[in-house]
Amino acid sequence: MTERHVNPEDLDLSALGALDGEEKEALEAHVRTCPACAQALEAARRRVALLAFAAPSASPAPGVRDALLRRARMERPMRVAPAPRPRRFAWLTPALAVAAMVFAVLDGWLWSRNAAASRQISDLESQIALAQTQNREIAHASAAADELLGAPGTMHVSLAQQPDAPQGRAGVLYNPRMGMVMCVGQLPPPPAGKSYQLWLVPMQGKPMSLGVYSGSKSSMEMMSHVAPGTEAKAFAITVEPLGGMPQPTGPKVLVGVAG
Amino acid sequence: MTAPGFGAADSALVEKMMAGDESALAALYDRYSGMLFAMLLRVLRDRQAAEEILQDLFLQLWRDPARFDASRGSLPAWLMVIGRNRALSRLRTREYRETPEEIDTLPANTVPSSVNIEDETQRNLLMEKLRKAMAALPAEQREAVELAYFEGMTQTEIATHTGSPLGTVKSRVRAAMQSLKLVFDDGTTRQSGRP
Repeated sequence: MTERHVNPEDLDLSALGALDGEEKEALEAHVRTCPACAQALEAARRRVALLAFAAPSASPAPGVRDALLRRARMERPMRVAPAPRPRRFAWLTPALAVAAMVFAVLDGWLWSRNAAASRQISDLESQIALAQTQNREIAHASAAADELLGAPGTMHVSLAQQPDAPQGRAGVLYNPRMGMVMCVGQLPPPPAGKSYQLWLVPMQGKPMSLGVYSGSKSSMEMMSHVAPGTEAKAFAITVEPLGGMPQPTGPKVLVGVAG
Repeated sequence: MTAPGFGAADSALVEKMMAGDESALAALYDRYSGMLFAMLLRVLRDRQAAEEILQDLFLQLWRDPARFDASRGSLPAWLMVIGRNRALSRLRTREYRETPEEIDTLPANTVPSSVNIEDETQRNLLMEKLRKAMAALPAEQREAVELAYFEGMTQTEIATHTGSPLGTVKSRVRAAMQSLKLVFDDGTTRQSGRP
């Protein structure tokens, strides 16, 4: 098998990815058992990799770098260490330790005072942690909106008022490649026991729920994700039972055709 | 802003990315985005599509820098191979969805370790020499190589496209690669530190 080595022409073609058919299969089978040809193929690949330099010079738009770094920033929490606990009251730890010693000799009143102080500290720390979480969520939402607006391929779909539906307006930003959807609009409060529900109607398959709006806020702002690559045919907002439904059942309020 | 990673080795920047250092990503982008984008644009002839793939390539590197094994290949070559595969995949389907996983799980030995083009001066020099050498090729040889590399055509497709016999296509590609060998070997051996 290894007696007859690969034709050098085929090595170049294989390195270019241009070899096909039986010749490709034969070459791949041969290099698996022939170190000399495997080495020659690697050398050919080494050369071919540099053909990229033959392309005429071009530079991406500056916005690509900005969008990349925004997206990277958004995903950063997945890798970096968790944020440290607030250290604002860290100095109290030794004080509490001392207090603990004092507890042993002082009366119950002092103990209860310190216990109350500890609870206050704990409460404050919880509040700080909650505020930090909220800030992070707001920052993420803001970054997500920036990212969507700046990403290539993002489409804007205006949703049109449907006959006999509550008066409202909304628009959708959707990037199929990212699978990211943002909907902003204004709708009157839904009927009692009902919610508004946003749907993506794909080119194929059933509508996908993108979220429910209860009307509790003055404006509707929804951010949602679907599987990247999902092609949208339309977006719609329907009135559904409170909390939403797996599939649309109620009247359409706003509808917009994608594309 | 390139200052944080200016002059740092790729492997050091990849390590920084593993620690979540965003400036390392920016430095690698500044170093290689032009080279990659030029190739992607040449393949796709569509700026938006090329920019999308460019962004995805670096985002993938950011998400999972450990996927690149510096001990087994050079980062720019790894990016070029994956980028080209993605671009060709998109070119073929003309309907870009998520890149099939197999495209990005290239065996490391498909990206030879001797291709080390971190140094900008050497990179520019190699680029200039390669372009000159390509321009000096007979037109049909250059066409055969470009159809294979930038259009992703197989030898059979090239034969059909050019109306030439398969054997002629093979000979043209071989002759072109032989002519370019001096440039390639000069580039790859000098970059790998060999005499």
